[in-house]
Amino acid sequence: MNLGTWLDERLDLSGVRHFIAEKGVPVHTQKIWYYLGGMTLFLFGVQIFTGILLLLYYRPSASEAYESVQFIVTQVQFGWLIRNVHSWSANLLIGLAFAHFFSVFFLKSYRKPRELTWVTGILLLFLMLGFGFSGYLLPWDELAYFATKVGTGIAGAVPVVGHFTLRLLRGGDDVTGATLSRFYGLHVAILPAVTTALVALHLLFVQQQGMSVPLSIERKLKPGERLPQMRFFPNYILRDVLAWYVVLAVLAALAAFYPWELGTKADPFAVVPPGIRPEWYFLAMFHTLKLLPSHVLGVEGEHLGVVAFGMAALFLILVPFLDRRASRGEPSRAFTVLAVLGLVYLVTFTIIGHYAK
Amino acid sequence: MQFTKTPIDARMKASRSRCKATAARFFRRAKASAEPSLRVLVVMVLAALLFPRGMAAQTAPAATNTCVACHATQQDQRIATPAALFSGSDVHRENGFKCADCHGGNPAATDKARAHDPAQQFKGRPAGQAIVGTCARCHSDAAFMRGFAPRQRVDQATEYAASVHGQQLAKGDHNVATCASCHGAHGVRRVSDAKSPVFPTNVANTCATCHADTTRMRGYKRPDGSPLPTQQFADFQKSVHYATLTKGHDLAAPTCNDCHGNHGAAPPGVGSVANVCGTCHAIFAQKFGTSVHKDIFDKGCVECHSNHAVLKPSDDMLAASGRGICATCHNADDKADKGAAAAVAMRGDIERLKTGIERTGALIGQIKKAGIEVSDQQLALREAGTKLTLARTEMHAFAPPQVATVVAEGDTIIAAVDKAGQNGVVELRYRRRGLFISLGAILFVVVTLGLKLRQIEHRA
Repeated sequence: MNLGTWLDERLDLSGVRHFIAEKGVPVHTQKIWYYLGGMTLFLFGVQIFTGILLLLYYRPSASEAYESVQFIVTQVQFGWLIRNVHSWSANLLIGLAFAHFFSVFFLKSYRKPRELTWVTGILLLFLMLGFGFSGYLLPWDELAYFATKVGTGIAGAVPVVGHFTLRLLRGGDDVTGATLSRFYGLHVAILPAVTTALVALHLLFVQQQGMSVPLSIERKLKPGERLPQMRFFPNYILRDVLAWYVVLAVLAALAAFYPWELGTKADPFAVVPPGIRPEWYFLAMFHTLKLLPSHVLGVEGEHLGVVAFGMAALFLILVPFLDRRASRGEPSRAFTVLAVLGLVYLVTFTIIGHYAK
Repeated sequence: MQFTKTPIDARMKASRSRCKATAARFFRRAKASAEPSLRVLVVMVLAALLFPRGMAAQTAPAATNTCVACHATQQDQRIATPAALFSGSDVHRENGFKCADCHGGNPAATDKARAHDPAQQFKGRPAGQAIVGTCARCHSDAAFMRGFAPRQRVDQATEYAASVHGQQLAKGDHNVATCASCHGAHGVRRVSDAKSPVFPTNVANTCATCHADTTRMRGYKRPDGSPLPTQQFADFQKSVHYATLTKGHDLAAPTCNDCHGNHGAAPPGVGSVANVCGTCHAIFAQKFGTSVHKDIFDKGCVECHSNHAVLKPSDDMLAASGRGICATCHNADDKADKGAAAAVAMRGDIERLKTGIERTGALIGQIKKAGIEVSDQQLALREAGTKLTLARTEMHAFAPPQVATVVAEGDTIIAAVDKAGQNGVVELRYRRRGLFISLGAILFVVVTLGLKLRQIEHRA
């Protein structure tokens, strides 16, 4: 008796077998965008794997964090590789998550009945940014320390709850060992737990509803006409795995040729080094806040900026419910224009923020 | 008029009496006419108007000092300019002093004859020794100066009398510098004011006003009878001291007065040059004090480093041939010249360590760029750099074994760093090899998957 039969006798897997056998993926000119989600998921797996390995040596205290990372990259067998892969994978993951987000936005894949898939996806994007923000501080190096000071300071500019949020994040008025402990807890326990649950939900929705056909292609179909289908298993899965391997090769090359530098240890009493800026995925937001005047119509510029970003985040979550035309299967140029503007804004301000002094 | 050292007190007292009398009149009228609550308000407003904070720092009414008012309106700039300068940033005016405190006369008078009345101790424009005397009346009085600048020295006039300037003035030479020549007479600023002519970055220019003037310096001689040179400022501008002071913005770098003294300005004697340089370069002076050259070099440090044109020292100076400083007295071709042999030995040691640091530094930089953690090695390289500095310092004792000992310590450090660097290179090759093997394996899997996919789809 093989394992399949053994399990079938106990769990009745006929439903799963039927689902796998019947599930298809629509084939069209824009099917390449389908693979971005899978690649992002693969990198999330890499993060979990390398993160667990780093946990074996990392010590989350202000006096030991930097030294433990230094120990990992110099003394631990393949420690340098694990750390470099973890750092690069985090950046690729966020980059791919953004690419996935924009592809879904442009293809209007959020339209009915996939509103909840979109909402969980946006929440996952925010969680990935949270991972990036909390993980950046963990090596306790100078740049990360001062960037976290600036970052948590921005959180402190949120009207009404700003001061409370700032103290909650920092564990006090300033960035100290208490902040490191909190960020560590957030990075290795709270965020992974929430993310895993949301990923499961996101995947469940995707499997349940199947892949969305882009609106522009769907509108060209005649009534009753159906796009040709590719079998999910093994055709699509094999293609997905192939894409994962390509990502793995890129990751390995980046880790080996462009190692993630460990700067000097954070010193709270040191002079703030010049050119303090957050990671690239926060640069657009950071630079926008920098450009805002100190007061706009009597309101503090930074407060206004933070509220505007909060509103933008809320808007993103609500996009499927606001884009009524897409829900009806009609073209919605306004939301396409908004997506273009958002993309141009993010790219432009990230580049300007990178070169700004 | 009697010179007073507390002019502001009397003016403040008079001003306060007038204010109080005016306030009392207002209070009486307000009491007679207003409701109680209104009276309180009137009292508060008047109090705020009549006794503002910082009133003591305000200048006295113009009626008590007509000097500036009259002089400032004159067409003759020789008369108008001092009044304008005194009305601007002037430490004396800001502390309550007036023209009459130095020049005498009657500041309350409105006509020239009464204002310039000799009976009122009018002195006009002091010159020569009178300038020093005028300044010294306050600046040599410790009890008086305590009220304004308690930490300021009060021996400037005594020092000046001992200076070459003071001695020449005593001989009747009115061409020499007095207090006002350097500090200015009107518009006198604090020494800590960056616009003051005696602020560290301005001192050399101030001295050069006279000492770079060939006409003015004509006729002055050095103790040996040779003419007093005028190229000191030009030389100083080429020096490492000038660069540090003006380009490096390091106010601790020496300028003219740090070696010559300021109020007691005089050239340091030949025998005391090493002491003057040793004020800052203490270790070098100490090493030089133990060297064989101590009794040979007439001009001490100046023999090799010059005086005003002290250039940035380089290892090339330590050579008994070519452009080396040692070649002035020693000959590298002469096998019996011990001095030349010592110079060659010390230079050889220093060059070896320097080259070792550069070579190993490049290696460490290369593997750091490739991602190997090298913070320990960078620290060790800095330690080796310190040894190189120590060896260069030790060289001033002109004893090759002492230099060799320090260099040997540096060599040991470099050897260890070099070994770590070589290990890093091996590690780097290992990583690259591992990457290419991994990429090969990934490529194999990708191709296999692609073929499998093709097979499946072909079959379908």
